[in-house]
Amino acid sequence: MKNPSINVLSPAAYRRRATAFSATVVLVVAACLFMGFDPYLLITDLHYVVDLFKSMSPPNFDLLWADKTIGLSVLETMSMAFLGTLFGGGIAVLTAFLSAENTMPVRLVRIVTRTLLSLARVIPPLFIILVFVAAVGLGPFAGMLALCLTTIGTFGQLFSEIIENTEPAPADAVYSVGATRWQVIRYVILPQVTPSFIANLFYAFDLNIRVAIGLGIFGGGGIGFQLFQAMRVLHYRDALALILLTMVLIIASEKISDGLRSRFLIVTLAR
Amino acid sequence: MTMNANSYRLPLLRRYGRVLLPVAGLLLLAQGAAWVCGARWGLLFNGLAGSTRFLAQLLSPEWSAFGDLVQPALNSVFIALVGTITGTAFSLVFALLAASNLAPPWIRNSVRALLGMERALPEIVILLFLVAAFGLGPFAGVLALTIGCVGMLGKLIADAIEEIDPVLIESIQAVGATRAQIVVFGVIQPILPSIISFALFRFEYSIRLSVVLGAVGAGGIGFELYRAFVMLDYGRAASALVVTLILVFLSERLSGWLRKKIKTVGGVL
Repeated sequence: MKNPSINVLSPAAYRRRATAFSATVVLVVAACLFMGFDPYLLITDLHYVVDLFKSMSPPNFDLLWADKTIGLSVLETMSMAFLGTLFGGGIAVLTAFLSAENTMPVRLVRIVTRTLLSLARVIPPLFIILVFVAAVGLGPFAGMLALCLTTIGTFGQLFSEIIENTEPAPADAVYSVGATRWQVIRYVILPQVTPSFIANLFYAFDLNIRVAIGLGIFGGGGIGFQLFQAMRVLHYRDALALILLTMVLIIASEKISDGLRSRFLIVTLAR
Repeated sequence: MTMNANSYRLPLLRRYGRVLLPVAGLLLLAQGAAWVCGARWGLLFNGLAGSTRFLAQLLSPEWSAFGDLVQPALNSVFIALVGTITGTAFSLVFALLAASNLAPPWIRNSVRALLGMERALPEIVILLFLVAAFGLGPFAGVLALTIGCVGMLGKLIADAIEEIDPVLIESIQAVGATRAQIVVFGVIQPILPSIISFALFRFEYSIRLSVVLGAVGAGGIGFELYRAFVMLDYGRAASALVVTLILVFLSERLSGWLRKKIKTVGGVL
């Protein structure tokens, strides 16, 4: 009946697992007590959710046609995401080349760009959008600038790792016949990394659409802002229509970005 | 000399001709998008130049504010922690229902569709909804993170379950295990390390999210940051930023350390 190879833990492993598990439970209980989080409320207060759903349905789809600003907001969100991906992605590619060991020989430059990249990665998007709103005012322009920075933070380091993971042998071969660093970057490294860069930028666009909706709430404009307004003035039927519109937008961008990415990868691999 | 230049130029055009059209299209799109966004680069430089005073204030955190910020910071961490752990537990249940080797096709497909729909809802939208239902506070924040976690981890864990070697499950079945035993020893046990590393990854993400969610009404350090900023109390905002950076940095380190540990301990955990 007993199969020691699969099921039975050694006493030490059992003890370790039991300790980890009970420590987690104690931590969660302590956290709940500290925050005043009462899971029981979920059962007693569930009728609030039901009430909210009732006041939200049926969604007011007429709003999407009647209010011209909604269409503009969708366009704004998409533009924000597109420009954030384009500019942020472009800067991310440049900084990646400046921070990768096999393309940037000067150590100081690598250290500086790496520090900047990790700074852009850890600074919360909330803070970035607040600074840009303070600098250029409310609106999609601020959102777009914030998206540029978050894209640089998310993808700069990834791109730099992709560059560092390229095959060293071709580069060495081309160096050995007397090529300059520029020529190696242009004819050896760039062709190797371009497909995965472009595939990642499609993914970045998909990600940025989601982030753009969140940033809209803090003054970035676009559909997120419209949704926030509708919720704030308790126009719940409008809000549900906007939520559904948001979901359609996200699913569509995900499908398009996935489709383009896989098509692009197939084309480049076939070439 | 001119001959040389010309013969150099022709293949250049031929070589880059294929890229020309997509690049031109992208630039055109970028123009249009910039117009929609109302992008004015002069405004950016003027704005940044005009706000040097407040940017300078942001570089000088108010040290006395750190004492007040400890509790919000802990709140944020705990929102992320509880949201991730309960979310992982729920996503395990959904994953069992969404795996083709455990559930009948119609259940699998409908649960997968549900998870996909959930992933299409940003956490911040879920939070707006929950705040409208339950009011401001960590309760809505924890729930929003739990729901977000289920959408993400449910799919990842279900995919991991579908990759389990069927021989393992069959061999446990063959010695007469009940259904619950199959699930515990044949499904959860083998993928436990991946479940934990998914959960740790999600925890990192939840910490970042809890900052944004805090500003919309979940409380915590995000709310402090937002409030200080809106009230033009830039010294305090800078302190909140420093605390946030420390949180993000520490959570990344902790999760990386635990993940590495699980990888080295391997099957034992």
